[in-house]
Amino acid sequence: MKMRNILLALSVAAATVLTGCAKKQDASERVLNIVSPAEIKGYDPIMSDDLYSGREIAKIYEGLLAYHYLKMPYELIPNLAEAMPEVSKDGITYTFKIRKGVLFQDDAAFPNGKGREVEASDFVYSIKRLADSKNQASGWWILDGKLKGLNEWRDKNANLPVTNYDEEVEGLKALDKYTLQFKLAKPFPQFLYSLAMGFTSVVSKEVVAKYGKEFINHPVGTGPYVLPKFDQGKRIVYTKNPTFREKLYPSDASPEYQNLLGDAGKKLPLVDKVIVHVMVESQPAWLKFNKGEIDYFGVPKDNFATAVKDNKISGELADKGIVLTISPQLDVTYTSFNYDNKLFHNTNLRRAMYLAYDEAKANELFYNNTAFPAQSIVPPGIAGNDPAYKNQWKGPNIELAKKTLAAAGYPEGKGLPEIVYDIPDSTTSRQMGEYFQKQMEQIGIKIKISASPWPEFQAKLKKRSGQMFGIAWGADYPDAENFLQLFYGPNSAPGANSSNYNDPKFNKEFEQAVMMQDSPARTALYVKLNKYIAEEAVSLFGVHRQAYTLQQSWLRNYRASDLHHDNVQYLNLDTAKKEEMAKKF
Amino acid sequence: MNLYSYILRRLLYVVPVLLGVCLIIFVIFNVVAPDPAFILLGKHATHEQIAQLHHELGMDRPFWEQYLSIVRSAFTFDFGYSWSSKQQIWEMIKAGAGPSLSITIPLFIIVNIVSISTALLVSFYRGKMLDKTVLILSIAMMSIPSLAYILFGQWYFAYTLGWFEISGYEAGFPNFIPYTILPVLLYIAISWGPDTRFYRSVILDEVYQDYVRTARAKGVGELSIMFKHVLKNAMIPILTYVIIQIPFLILGLLLAEAFFSIPGLGGITIKAINTSDFPVIKAMTILSAVGFIIFGVITDVLYTVVDPRMRLK
Repeated sequence: MKMRNILLALSVAAATVLTGCAKKQDASERVLNIVSPAEIKGYDPIMSDDLYSGREIAKIYEGLLAYHYLKMPYELIPNLAEAMPEVSKDGITYTFKIRKGVLFQDDAAFPNGKGREVEASDFVYSIKRLADSKNQASGWWILDGKLKGLNEWRDKNANLPVTNYDEEVEGLKALDKYTLQFKLAKPFPQFLYSLAMGFTSVVSKEVVAKYGKEFINHPVGTGPYVLPKFDQGKRIVYTKNPTFREKLYPSDASPEYQNLLGDAGKKLPLVDKVIVHVMVESQPAWLKFNKGEIDYFGVPKDNFATAVKDNKISGELADKGIVLTISPQLDVTYTSFNYDNKLFHNTNLRRAMYLAYDEAKANELFYNNTAFPAQSIVPPGIAGNDPAYKNQWKGPNIELAKKTLAAAGYPEGKGLPEIVYDIPDSTTSRQMGEYFQKQMEQIGIKIKISASPWPEFQAKLKKRSGQMFGIAWGADYPDAENFLQLFYGPNSAPGANSSNYNDPKFNKEFEQAVMMQDSPARTALYVKLNKYIAEEAVSLFGVHRQAYTLQQSWLRNYRASDLHHDNVQYLNLDTAKKEEMAKKF
Repeated sequence: MNLYSYILRRLLYVVPVLLGVCLIIFVIFNVVAPDPAFILLGKHATHEQIAQLHHELGMDRPFWEQYLSIVRSAFTFDFGYSWSSKQQIWEMIKAGAGPSLSITIPLFIIVNIVSISTALLVSFYRGKMLDKTVLILSIAMMSIPSLAYILFGQWYFAYTLGWFEISGYEAGFPNFIPYTILPVLLYIAISWGPDTRFYRSVILDEVYQDYVRTARAKGVGELSIMFKHVLKNAMIPILTYVIIQIPFLILGLLLAEAFFSIPGLGGITIKAINTSDFPVIKAMTILSAVGFIIFGVITDVLYTVVDPRMRLK
C-alpha cells in the first residue's frame, strides 16, 4: 500500500504540473464541446448513411436544400439553392437557381490553395458521383430509378475502366453556370427531401481527384466549419470556415421555438470552434457532462433514474442550471417476421403473437416508460399517422391471444415449431429477447434466441436467413413513404424491406401514394396503408422513442431534432454565464 | 550451437508459422466472419451493389488467390488500405501506436518493477504478517473486474477529486501525459495482484531449494541470498512472463482505450472487427504473430544470458 501511495502522490504531483503546462484556451473564444457516441466513418457525403458520420459531414458539406431550423413540422428551405425550385406542372422537371458567390473551402487541391466558386456543374458532378457504381455509395438508393437516364448512365459506365463524367444525362443538367435542372423518370414528390440529405451535398472534382481513395479523410465543402484533415482520432476539432458565405440565423419560428430567436439575423456560425469528443462509452461522457466539459448530452439509459424524475430534471442537475429537453423521435421499433418463411403467412399466428406481447411492460423495462406505444409503422408527427387509431391486435390480451393461436391451427402452441428470434449481441438486446421469449411462452410459443455480432445480424437480414428479428427504423426524411416502404415488396432484402413482405394489394396502393403530391388525398391513402399493415399484424410494432437531452445553462438555441444534422452552426454559448456557473461544477 | 545460427534458424520458423496464421485468417474470414458488404454498403444495399463490392474487394476470386494475397501481405507487410476508413493501414498503425504505447510502456515498466519488488519483499518475509496481508490484498484486487477499477477510478479520482482528466487524449509529448496517468495507475492496480502472486510463487519455488539452505548454512545474509541467488535463479520464468507481455503492449488496452477515449491500436482493432474491415484485422493479426515469434526468440537468447548452463539447440 505504501508503494501505491507514493506512486499516487508522485503521479498527482506530476499531473498537476503537467496539467498546468497544458495549452491555455483563449477565454474570448467560443468553443462548443459535444459528444459523438460512435466512431466516425469518414467525410464522404455519398457514404453518409449512418447518423453519426452524417452529423459530422453536415458541419462541412452542404446541399441545395435544408430544413428550417426553427419550424415544425419540418419545412424545406433553400440552402445552396437561391430559392425553392420551379416545378413543372407534370411534376417531372425541377429547375434550381443556385446561390452565387459560394466558395469551396480553401485547400491545396485548388490553384494557390484558394477555394473556387461553386457552379451548377458541381452539383451535376456530385450527383453523378453518387450514381457512379465504382464509388459503391451507400446513398445511391435515394436516386435509384428517380432521374431520367441516370440509371442507364450508371449501368453503361459500370464496366468501363474509367467512368465518363462528361457524358450528358437527360435528367441531370447544368443549363448555365448557376442553373441546375433535374428531370424525374416519373413523379416523385419526395425527391426534394433527397436534396436536403448529406448524400447530395456538393463536392469539388479537384479535391476528389487530388485525394483519390483518401478523399473520405480530406473534407472540403462549402459549410460553416473546416477540418483540414481527419485522422480518425477521438477528438475532432473544427474551426470556423473563414470564407463561409453570409448565412443568417432565422428570424421566424414556430410558436414552440419563439424562445430561440435571440440570435435572429446574426451571421452563422455562432461559435468559433467545435470539439467533438468521440466517446463510445456513455459513463465517461456522462461524467464529463456533469463536470461542465460537454455542452449537451443525451441522458444515458443507466443514468436515467438519477437524471430524470417524473419527466423532470433531478434536483442536483437542476441546481447546476442544467435543462432537460424531451422530444419525440421520428422512429419506430418493431419485431418482424421473415415472410420468406411460409409459417408467417398465417395472419392469426402473427396476431396471436402480437396479442401476447405486453408492450407497456417492455416500455417500462427498456425505455424507462418514456416511449409512445406504436400502433403501426408511421410515427406521430408525420402525415399518415392517425393519432386516434388504436391497433386492436396490440397486447396484452392473453385470453384472446390463446384463442387466436388456436384459430391459427396451433392450440396452446401444439404443432408449432420452435421459432428462432435473431438479436444483435448486446446486453439490452439480450434482455429484450428474453422478455419476448417469456411473453410468447405464456401462450405456448417456443422461442429460441440467437444473438450475433452486429455485422452478422445485419448479414442475416440481408441474406434473408433469419425467422424473426427485432429492429428499429429512424426517418431519413419526414414522409410516411420512408416508413411504409419497409413493407414494399420490391424493396425486399437486401433492400430496406428486411421482412420481405410482399403483398400485391399493399404494393399497388403504395405505388399510387408515392406518386401523389402532398395533399389530403395522399394523407388519407397513407393512413389507409398504415392501418392495413397494423390490422394484418405485418410486424409487432413496438414504440416510438423520445430523446431526453440535457443541456448546460450556457448553451443557447438548442433544439432536439432527428433531421437537423447541421444544427451546430445555429448553437451559441453564453461565455459569461459559463464562467459564472463554473463554481457549481 | 552458435548464437547467430540459432537466431537465424528460429527466425526461419517464422515462415511456416506465418503460413499457418494466414490459413487461420483465411478460414475465419471466409467461413466464420460475416460478409463485410452488408456493413460497408448500409441499409439500402442492392444485390448489384453487393456483387460489385465483392468484386472490388476481391471476394469473388478463387480461394487460392485470396489465400495467396494474405500470404503476400504477411511477407511484404504491405497491408494496403482499410476498407472502411480508406486510410493506408500502416498510417493507421503509426497513428495508433503512439497513444497505445504512451500507456502500455510506462505501465509495463512500473508494474513489473513494483510487482517483482513486492514479490521479493514478501518472499523475504514469507509466512509473516506482511506476506499474508499482501497475499490477501492481491487476491482481493484480482477478484475485482477491470471495468470496476475503471469506472470507480474515473468517477472518484477524475470526477470527484478532479485530479485527472476524465477521458481524452492529446498527441505529442508532454500533452498526452495528463490523459495517460489515470489509466496507467488503474492498470497498475489491476495487474499488481496477479503479477505479484505469480512472481511470489516463482521466487518461493527457489527459496526452498537446497542451494539456498546451503548459502544460509554458510552464513550468507538473507538480503544477499534473495538478490544474488534467488532472484538470479528465478529469472527464467520471470523473463518468460515479462517478455511475453511485450507484443500485448503494441496491441493496446481495449477497455482503457474505449473508456478513456484514447485513439490507440486496441480501438482500431475493435472498430475493424465491428465493421468487418478485413485488411485491418489481417494486419493486426499478422503483426501480433510476428511480435510473438520475435519476442520468443529474444526470450530464448536471454535465457542463456541469465543462466549460462542453458544451451541453444
